[in-house]
Amino acid sequence: METLYARLKEPFGLTDWVLQKPDLCFVTVAREQLRPLLLHLRDLEGFTHLVLLTAVDWIEEDRFQLTYLLHDRAKARDIGVRLMLPREDASMDSIHELWPTAATYQRELREMFGIDFPGSPRVNEDFILEGWADLPPYRRDFDTLQYAHEAYAERAGRETRDPARHMKEQLYPDGGQDD
Amino acid sequence: MSVRDLLSPFTAWKNLFREPVSIKDPFNRPASERYRGFHKNDSEKCIGCGTCEAICQNGAIDMLPADGVATQPGDSGLRPRIDYGRCCWCALCVDVCMTGSLTMSNEYKWVEADPDKFRFMPGVDKKHWDDYEDGYRRPDGHRLNAPERIDMPELAPAQRIDSFVEMVTGYTVEQAQLEADRCVTCGICVATCPTHMAIPDYIRAIRDGDYERGLKLLYDSNPFSQICGKVCTRRCETTCAASHEGDPIAIRWLKRHITEQVPHERYREIIGAPGPATGRKIAIVGAGPAGMTAAFDLARAGHQVTVYESESHAGGMTRYGIPEYRLPSDTIQREIDLIVSMGVEMHYNTRVGTDISMQQLQQDNDAVILAIGLWMGRSTRIPGSDHANVFKAVDLLRRIRDGEAIEAPKSLVVIGGGNVAMDIARSMARLQKQQHGEIAVTLTALEDKAHFLADPVEIKESIEEQIHILDSRGPQECVIGDQGGLVGLRTWKVLSIFDEQHRFAPSYDENDEQLHKGEWVIEAIGQMSDVSLLGEELTEQLEWNRGRLQVDDDGRTSESWLWAAGDCVKGPDVVTAVATGHKVAASIEAVFAQQEAQT
Repeated sequence: METLYARLKEPFGLTDWVLQKPDLCFVTVAREQLRPLLLHLRDLEGFTHLVLLTAVDWIEEDRFQLTYLLHDRAKARDIGVRLMLPREDASMDSIHELWPTAATYQRELREMFGIDFPGSPRVNEDFILEGWADLPPYRRDFDTLQYAHEAYAERAGRETRDPARHMKEQLYPDGGQDD
Repeated sequence: MSVRDLLSPFTAWKNLFREPVSIKDPFNRPASERYRGFHKNDSEKCIGCGTCEAICQNGAIDMLPADGVATQPGDSGLRPRIDYGRCCWCALCVDVCMTGSLTMSNEYKWVEADPDKFRFMPGVDKKHWDDYEDGYRRPDGHRLNAPERIDMPELAPAQRIDSFVEMVTGYTVEQAQLEADRCVTCGICVATCPTHMAIPDYIRAIRDGDYERGLKLLYDSNPFSQICGKVCTRRCETTCAASHEGDPIAIRWLKRHITEQVPHERYREIIGAPGPATGRKIAIVGAGPAGMTAAFDLARAGHQVTVYESESHAGGMTRYGIPEYRLPSDTIQREIDLIVSMGVEMHYNTRVGTDISMQQLQQDNDAVILAIGLWMGRSTRIPGSDHANVFKAVDLLRRIRDGEAIEAPKSLVVIGGGNVAMDIARSMARLQKQQHGEIAVTLTALEDKAHFLADPVEIKESIEEQIHILDSRGPQECVIGDQGGLVGLRTWKVLSIFDEQHRFAPSYDENDEQLHKGEWVIEAIGQMSDVSLLGEELTEQLEWNRGRLQVDDDGRTSESWLWAAGDCVKGPDVVTAVATGHKVAASIEAVFAQQEAQT
């Protein structure tokens, strides 16, 4: 993995590298270098399989992170290529021409995060959230807990206690002073 | 149909002789090391703060009492129960866990016929994966909330050592917001606070920038909020959830911040005016935190309250015992003015027992409260301790705060390791610096460093101020020289302080003897009440418990008209005094209500 990173570092201007496990590393790349890097990895380094394409919402930093995870079957190793996008009107170049399966991931990201991939086949069609009218639900500003409460019934037998109130009942029920 | 379509079924035959790609036994395949499988919870480590429940985006976690887990200070006694019908194994609960008790195993198989079995209490409902080594835990250094406290800006030792100017300067709004953001508002601290302040709520008010709401919350439970914001012993911080894997929230400094953000002229309107007059009369002896808290509550309830104070100013030990550099007089005065503005009548320089008798107070009032504090310093009674240059810390602190010009000796020794010892050592160091340009203060404590009674911050700051602190030293003699002047303090090394029955019985290594040079020796080993004001008759009538006035849980003495509160019944501590002040006020109110019901 180290030798691979050493080879990629200069030509693709990689700044960040994390060796998660002996057979898995992550690199971060600038937007204009993504396509050349993916092509290089696919055609010259043996990373022929696009395992997944996913996103993280770093709302505090006002950006999305895309992660392209590639697999090298022959050497049984993976590389994650990370890329940061401005969060506002997020849009990224499609890679469906490199891997046709990318179109499905891109359609999912469009639906779950609102990240656009212009030119990607069927990218604006509903994926799993038919008739969804709210914020894209994987965005951090979407209130998942409120949605969970509204959308799903409580199972019978659920109950909970507030720690401070419970301690008052147990330790100083009259509101008085304890020792 | 093409030729290829015809032949392809036969090409598949070649795979018959290959090693299969699929896994032979998929049911016994361990998941990877960091797999987010079924939850584990170290129930001993868990404090039931409910932060896991608060962060869960699926509403999958409930906090409930658990068998064998007791509610106690610092532990709510609740434990998380997870509904696997809702959990998505995102591990936010593990990432946010304040103690690191909640983790995940890498077990991922669980078969049950009854769906309700999938709602369980990790660590309490025993599971076979409880002792799995592998599985997800929060990686080192990965924290959702900042573990480090925002430092309180304060004057550097060189800036503060030659004056009594307040050394702490207070948070800015930005600093307070950052510190408030570290709080998970679990509320575990509330039970520990003697007066049970609404800590998470007022910290939330800081986050919301709603300081007036914050101030209202403070004064709902503590009319000494400005003072406690500066000098509280902050027991709350010892049980803070954040203290388990980081610094506790600076609760005291956040309280101080609220009181500094609201203009003082707004206070009374926010706190609210007293209720209509009831015609009931109450006398309070002592204008310290306990007496003035009771005065505040009772005046606001519409009763006519008169406070008798032997000193020229109110505030009790907060004014006469705590040095100015920790608690400036104007802070105390603002607090007192606010309480007095509720309609409290003050009689300063009036000593009960001399200027007016307890019997008189009893005759003129419906109830009387004793809040006389602990104003008499205890003596070591070692040889030489009756020398004119052996002082009691409380007496000296009072004289310094009273503005008396005190000529500091060039060198002195303090006996004691509590906060009062630090207060007098640091006050005398300032006087020495002002008068002689040099500091020579030695402080000797019975306790070893690990068991010092003083606040660790006080010890740190004392050392910064060149106080020479010696631990495990037992005072034996105030040594008097040939000319009759004091030479210093002779001590032996302490081997143990208590005997096997936990009684105070220090034992010493007599071979390890030291003489600490000092023209003065100051004793700071504890205080007691001056109960002479009660008079012989009343003292006889009252019940006592080992020298202290005997009171019931509500602070009522054996005489039905007399209550007692503050340091003289429980202390010394400002916030405890406030709590007992509330308590006697509530007790008196209850008695009045009972009397109303009977007539």
